[in-house]
Amino acid sequence: MASESESATTEASSFIENLTNSRNIDLSLFLPFILAFTNNSSISSTPVQDSSNPDQQTQEQTTPSEFLDRIILVNPLTQGMVVIESRSSSSFDSLLSELMRKEGQPPASQASIEALQSVEICEEGEKGECAICLDELRVGGVVKEMPCKHRFHGDCVEKWLKIHGSCPICRYKMPEEDGDLNNKSENRGRRREIWISFSFQTASANSNSENEHDHASEV
Amino acid sequence: MVDLARVQKELHECNRDVQVSGINVTLKGDSLTHLIGTIPGPIGTPYEGGTFKIDITLTDGYPFEPPKMRFATKVWHPNISSQSGAICLDILKDQWSPALTLKTALLSIQALLSAPEPDDPQDAVVAQQYLKDHQTFVGTARYWTETFAKTCAAEEKIQKLVEMGFPEAHVRSTLEATGWDENLALEKLLSS
Repeated sequence: MASESESATTEASSFIENLTNSRNIDLSLFLPFILAFTNNSSISSTPVQDSSNPDQQTQEQTTPSEFLDRIILVNPLTQGMVVIESRSSSSFDSLLSELMRKEGQPPASQASIEALQSVEICEEGEKGECAICLDELRVGGVVKEMPCKHRFHGDCVEKWLKIHGSCPICRYKMPEEDGDLNNKSENRGRRREIWISFSFQTASANSNSENEHDHASEV
Repeated sequence: MVDLARVQKELHECNRDVQVSGINVTLKGDSLTHLIGTIPGPIGTPYEGGTFKIDITLTDGYPFEPPKMRFATKVWHPNISSQSGAICLDILKDQWSPALTLKTALLSIQALLSAPEPDDPQDAVVAQQYLKDHQTFVGTARYWTETFAKTCAAEEKIQKLVEMGFPEAHVRSTLEATGWDENLALEKLLSS
């Protein structure tokens, strides 16, 4: 029993390692196996504590009155299960999109985009290629120059900076919109995940259900 | 809408120096949004000698969104799924930049083959093996290269010679005897 429990834990930790280490969690693995999604104050009042992470525990206690969104995902192939909780009042969709969103440099602020300098290409030596559309920067044409001095077509670079505020060539960081930044860090703080691993094998169903129980009580 | 003009330019540019880079991009069908890239396995790695096919799909947002790339050839590598061919590489995700191209992305994947990052794995089993039993990892990676990344080329060579009118069994044994050198095999087949 002890050794089984241990192997289950190892399996769980390697599974967690795998998923948390990968730069974006591939939720599509789990989508067909979503067991439950709740947005329920009665569940949120259940004291949920993660013994492995005292920080999260503290967070739980300091904000007991807020709603909890909880998603339980199970992958029978890896025998892994994840419980995702969010303290935001966001809907299931927005929670999922938050999880799946590819991060990266946030968009540049509107003001900084507008402040980009327009430069006219007047000498032969100044012309080149717009690294975004790979078209020529023609002599006589007007281009936008970033603070790092890299030049692009106005349309090209503005479209990019509204998605990610960094120079396509040197990754020079443009100023971000202040409001966005705050929202984002709040959202980050609101989410927690609990990982559980268990086995579906019937032969060892008894011991495994005990394992599960052990985990549950730990959690 | 995919910037088709840019894709066309990229294809032209990439295929111009295929002899130098070894990186090739071809159309999968009629559309410019489904492409196949090929990269040679880096020399001095267990992937040496293999030719790896990468399935490329361009989304509407390209080049403002990264191209979707996945290995169509099975490969044993900590950052590539041995099951699906999914690639764990930052520039194909959040670190994409529109100044990157299909060619530079493929070059990055080739560099990833040379320098695995087991601490940021795509395939946990491979990564564990890489860290804990490196000898076995190298053996498996080499075996997968032999089995999956070379057969395509071999089959093509066989096909070519069979089309010239030689019996397949004979072609196969001759190619094997000459170390899969097409020209040597042809000479041998002609003289026998």
